[in-house]
Amino acid sequence: MARMKFLCDADRCIECNACVTACKNEHDVPWGINRRRVVTLNDGKPGERSISMACMHCTDAPCAAVCPVNCFYTTADAVVLHSKELCIGCGYCFYACPFGAPQYPRVSNFGTRGKMDKCTYCAGGPLADNSTAEYAAYGANRLAQGKLPLCAEMCSTKALLAGDSDMIATIYKERVLKRGYGSGAWGWQTAYKETIAI
Amino acid sequence: MLIKRKSQDAARTRLAGLAGGLTSGVMDRRTFLARSGLTAAGAIAVGSLTLGAVRKAEAVAAPQPGIATVVKKNMCTHCSVGCTVIAEVQNGVWTGQEPAWESPINRGTHCAKGASSRELVFGERRVKYPMKLVGGQWRRITWEQAFNEIGDKMLEIRAKSGADSVYMLGSAKFTNEAAYLFRKFGAFWGTNNVDHQARICHSTTVAGVANTWGYGAQTNSYNDIRVAKTMIIMGGNPAEAHPVSLQHVLSGKELNRANLIVIDPRMTRTAAHATEYVRIRSGTDIPVMWGIMWHIVKNGWEDKEFLAQRVYGMNEVLKEVEKWDPKTVEDVSGVPGAQLEKVAKLFATEKPSTLIWCMGATQHTVGTANVRAYCNLLLLTGNVGAPGTGANIFRGHTNVQGATDMGLDVGNLPLYYGLVEGAWRHWSRVWEVPYDYFVSRFDEVPAKGGRAARTARQNMEVSGIPSTRWFDAALLPNEQVDQKDNVKAMFVMGHGGNTIPRVPGAVEGLGKLDLLVVVDPHPTNFVSLHNRRDGTYVLPACTNFECDGSRTASNRSIQWGEKVVEPIFESATDYWIIYKFAQKLGFANEMFKNIKMVKGKFGDEPEAESILREINRGGWSTGYTGQSPERIKAHMANQDKFDIVTLRASKDVAGVGGDFYGLPWPCWGTPELRHPGTHILYNTNERMMDGGGTFRPRFGLERNGETLLAQGSWSKDSMIQDGYPEFTYAMFQRLGWDADLTPAEKATIERIGGANPGAISWATDLSGGIQRVCLEKNVCPYGNGKARAIAWNLPDPVPVHREPIYTPRVDLVAKYPARADERTLRMPNLHTTYQKGAVDKGIARQFPIILTSGRLVEYEGGGEETRSNKWLAELQQDMFVEINPRDAAQRNIADGGWVWVAGPEGGRARMKALVTERVGPGVAWMPFHFGGWYQGEDQRKNYPQGTDPIVLGESVNTVTTYGYDPVTGMHEGKATLCQIQAA
Amino acid sequence: MRVTLRSLVAAFFLAIAVFIAAPASAQQPNSVNPTAASVKEQQLMQALQAGTPGAGSTLSGRITIPDASAANLIQPQGQAWRAFHQGAMLWVGAIAILGMLGMLAVFYFTRGKIMIDSGLSGVKILRFSTFERFIHWLTAGCFIILALSGLNVTFGKFVVAPLLGEDAFATLAQGAKIAHNFLAWPFMLGLVFMFVVWVFHNIPNSTDITWIKQGGGLVGGGHPPAKKFNAGQKVIFWAVIIGGGLLSLSGVYLLFPASAGGVLALQFWNIVHGLVAVLLIAMMIAHIYIGSVGMQGAADAMTSGEVDLNWAKEHHSLWVEEEMAKGKALPPAAQPAE
Repeated sequence: MARMKFLCDADRCIECNACVTACKNEHDVPWGINRRRVVTLNDGKPGERSISMACMHCTDAPCAAVCPVNCFYTTADAVVLHSKELCIGCGYCFYACPFGAPQYPRVSNFGTRGKMDKCTYCAGGPLADNSTAEYAAYGANRLAQGKLPLCAEMCSTKALLAGDSDMIATIYKERVLKRGYGSGAWGWQTAYKETIAI
Repeated sequence: MLIKRKSQDAARTRLAGLAGGLTSGVMDRRTFLARSGLTAAGAIAVGSLTLGAVRKAEAVAAPQPGIATVVKKNMCTHCSVGCTVIAEVQNGVWTGQEPAWESPINRGTHCAKGASSRELVFGERRVKYPMKLVGGQWRRITWEQAFNEIGDKMLEIRAKSGADSVYMLGSAKFTNEAAYLFRKFGAFWGTNNVDHQARICHSTTVAGVANTWGYGAQTNSYNDIRVAKTMIIMGGNPAEAHPVSLQHVLSGKELNRANLIVIDPRMTRTAAHATEYVRIRSGTDIPVMWGIMWHIVKNGWEDKEFLAQRVYGMNEVLKEVEKWDPKTVEDVSGVPGAQLEKVAKLFATEKPSTLIWCMGATQHTVGTANVRAYCNLLLLTGNVGAPGTGANIFRGHTNVQGATDMGLDVGNLPLYYGLVEGAWRHWSRVWEVPYDYFVSRFDEVPAKGGRAARTARQNMEVSGIPSTRWFDAALLPNEQVDQKDNVKAMFVMGHGGNTIPRVPGAVEGLGKLDLLVVVDPHPTNFVSLHNRRDGTYVLPACTNFECDGSRTASNRSIQWGEKVVEPIFESATDYWIIYKFAQKLGFANEMFKNIKMVKGKFGDEPEAESILREINRGGWSTGYTGQSPERIKAHMANQDKFDIVTLRASKDVAGVGGDFYGLPWPCWGTPELRHPGTHILYNTNERMMDGGGTFRPRFGLERNGETLLAQGSWSKDSMIQDGYPEFTYAMFQRLGWDADLTPAEKATIERIGGANPGAISWATDLSGGIQRVCLEKNVCPYGNGKARAIAWNLPDPVPVHREPIYTPRVDLVAKYPARADERTLRMPNLHTTYQKGAVDKGIARQFPIILTSGRLVEYEGGGEETRSNKWLAELQQDMFVEINPRDAAQRNIADGGWVWVAGPEGGRARMKALVTERVGPGVAWMPFHFGGWYQGEDQRKNYPQGTDPIVLGESVNTVTTYGYDPVTGMHEGKATLCQIQAA
Repeated sequence: MRVTLRSLVAAFFLAIAVFIAAPASAQQPNSVNPTAASVKEQQLMQALQAGTPGAGSTLSGRITIPDASAANLIQPQGQAWRAFHQGAMLWVGAIAILGMLGMLAVFYFTRGKIMIDSGLSGVKILRFSTFERFIHWLTAGCFIILALSGLNVTFGKFVVAPLLGEDAFATLAQGAKIAHNFLAWPFMLGLVFMFVVWVFHNIPNSTDITWIKQGGGLVGGGHPPAKKFNAGQKVIFWAVIIGGGLLSLSGVYLLFPASAGGVLALQFWNIVHGLVAVLLIAMMIAHIYIGSVGMQGAADAMTSGEVDLNWAKEHHSLWVEEEMAKGKALPPAAQPAE
């Protein structure tokens, strides 16, 4: 069974934000909601590295653990999705998430939180695959079409890898061995309690 | 439970495809293809909820389940990398964008701009219909009204002030066909005042490189960088400006463990991935280059054989280099000698080495000299004309290379035919319009300002005014402008108003114009930057996603873009707009004589393929003759057949076998000859029919008794194993090669040549016979010469360091002064007056911070198009200035706080501060994509309603200053001074 | 970034410092080898944990979008919050509430309902005015719904969801959340009124010491003297004012996340909100007990507002004296009593 993960190779990421706009384009994500973002550490200093970050689809996902209404579920591909039908916009997943993935449209009471929105790994939601309703609520369902998340597919330097855990880990390992350096699989320790040993 | 099973098998298939592509290597692309084929078969039929119900085009359209999808291939309309864009169209609406795995250039990937391409054709903020200003109010008008009113006004200006008073500013966003038409339009109108963005991006590169070894273009390709062992990126930040190119750069760096050296005043996103970062003071490129070469010569690392065989005049250059010992270089540029020695050693000894540059090199008053200094480093180390080497010049816009090739330039006709009579006659033969017709179209220039009068015939051979000076040409006293009258009208198609320095001057100039016509998908700053009340028109052009046509990427590969959707709203193609204006102005019949008309959105319009065929018929000088529409389209259909490193398809592939991707020019001879194109220029390791070549001897045969032809070097299997000049019919006759010409070819040459057929050359022979025979004999049609280390026909034949006009190092001005005041390109060019004025006024004390500028990944050019794209605009919502923490602390400036930036010529701009160590102390950096604010004033109200970009901001060029390259009129965009204070 | 990785880049800063000191370089020269300085995630995470300034803080960088929290790459505190919320919070809540219920049950079965020793007098005395009762019930009513909807967020999925099923529970939770958000405002209004109206009567004084020493008569037997509010009620009052104040403050931050100051602040306020809420709920359960089934005659104070004179004399002797002295609270001689 595939275990889908993201891996951002910080030694390749150039903060081009293709992943960000690809995501916006594919799912027509509204202004103010950032399912994916690129953060630059040590900006302008030696050792500067940029990392593209979104929901990492954690093993033992904190969002799911703290959700008061159990709106999260993990697919057979280990993608962490949620139901906007069930979500009550309480914000707990945002408190718990180590990666700042959950986003909220400012629509409901007092201009605060609406239904939570986050990266779906381009796998839609609990509604019928590739239905209009699914697109409207969660965006495109590429996984069901046999495609991978568009952010990774369009990554300009192929820094952002998406796919089966073993496969992307192998790719990353080969890369690091070939070039002789590697900042490591950012976020893996936190998300998956494991890292890629090289 | 809520678990919903996803389609495992299909996912795995695609996954494997992606995985294949992720490991760097040659075979990946094929894996991709195979896998994506499987994917297509394995893809699951989508559901069928709510059939029909296509969303209206005003909002970004969602994919429609159950409706057939048509896939269209086009290219990203932003930078010059040439990324293929795959558009999924349903019911005429672009509903999805997919990765273009098969493109050897981008291999599925994009940057922020490419990945958001789809927004362009929904264009909520596009210009929707023709408009004009009536008493300061925008009024909707019809296209016919626009053509009539504008045409009448142009004719009136022509009658009163002359043809040269209408300035034609074209675009690097044009397709090749539109660029060619626009240049042709200028010729038929009778002016050389035809320009485009190349002026402000790589005009100095084109001039410098062409004057060194023949052609003004990137010698190798993005893909070829994968082969390099050492790369220097100097004055460029491709991580933001050409992100997809970094895929090749970083792959090369990783696969070869190559050295990646970044030389820049700013620690850029590119520098973050370098193995060596060298920080220099802006405007000291020549000292740094000479400093590197000083170490190379001192240690004997130069390529002596290459110098002897293929380079002329290096010794004269080395005399200048000698002056730049490490101590002097460090004093002037700030780079320590030890570091430069390391760079020199890597570049000269860990070969192949390539030098990559962008506008950090070109946008200087010494831009052309900078470029020639760069070329000299390549020549000294023998790093030209082979895989992994070369001058990898990353150009800016999607088709800036093509538009330059098409002659959208004040100094030449299409395909680099100069403004001399022979060139005019060549094109009048191609166009089948008498030469005298063009003479009749040009102005006679009266004697003024101590200059002699010019006849029309002389005037048509004088270069026009560069776009950087258009407002000076409108504002300066008539006597100082070397043409019949000042510029009275600006006819702007696809060019921003905020990308040229001295915006206050532009504002004044705009006020002076009798007519301003802006033809663009978005209104641009030309529309917002002034308070004009009348005589101003905005016409909606469509984007390249809404029309067919070819574009030339930076690496000279030509790609065909298919129309994705019909032009939206009332927008129209450039072809139709130019055609309609030609019709109104009375020369459409001559101009479109040989161009096929097809049914377009608003009636007959020129067919893109037919225009390209005309280009093919005349483009001999640059090898634009072999790229027929059919061949280019075959390449687009067979993208997967091309190797990712060599860009070549294997010989056994039907249709495109043996070709280099996009038939990079020169693609010699007729399409039937099937020349494969030239991936690497001047590459003597290959036979001519495999893309080989030599340096082009275009500066004479000898100088000071020394030959300018190659010695002991020739392209592989050449019939002439020595240097040789360009081929003419006369030379053919001497060699007896005329016997190899077919009777038809001979007849054409005799017909063209008239009384003197011997003068017909490889570049003017419309039969292609001379080129065909040359290729048969494995010789290069343009000859086999030496590259020139010195360019004796240019100012500063040996490049010398000159301090920027506004320099912080006032102490160095006496030793390295700007050039004396002079007249260049019809205009006064007052280098010394300005530099001396700045020194005398103590500008460096009042404005102690060096100001330089550059690109952001999210925006492009003047930025109106990208700032109107909601997906991009969200990522950069404010204009900002980067300032070092030390300078910020001294000025009580907080990160994110508002500041005023003041320039030495009085411009001031309000923006946010970004306090960062990207810039060193005493240096500030600004992006140049913002506009819509002017000196603190938000000018949103000046845009026609609904067309204002989402994000507005101050333009860096409100602050930038005087300074123009003497060869091309390139502005000084990278080294001026400023003062910053908290607002 | 907020965390300066001194240890990792010290060498480079040193190099830069040397350069800046060099007199010839008026033009900011310095150079580094960025690849060699590549920072590994592991190093960065360790640096965050190792007693350096900023230890344990969020791994944060530069981002261009205005959402400042998006600049946080990894915030390890989320794990701690999760551990608290799914651990300590549940235990504290369960123990506080179930513990209080248990204690009250024990109390009830041992001590029984506290009766009016001298029996009903049939004479009523006005204890709380209409307005006082209004604000009490306004606040109390809101509190009960806030408490139930709040408990639902923490315990609902264990207790309610299995009964209702996911969908119905989500609908309920959604309604509960809306109620929680809206009823917070009248609750806060009630708090303000309560404070203004009753603060004077709730200032602690010497009688409270006696009252407390005698266990308020709950444990022992007698009836220690008290004014309008006895010490126990004062404790309730201040608990409501302080606890309610904290709930309001934290609640408002949670309602307006953008003004809270980032995820760390939100986590903090959430913890405050949760802990204070369960403690206050436990206390309110006791309050409700004593005001209803726990004591004869007490409920009248907040229903009709008039209590039996004997009840008043036993529990608020000083207050009764005061009222009598004022002469205005003397009830009609023959109030029909049921």
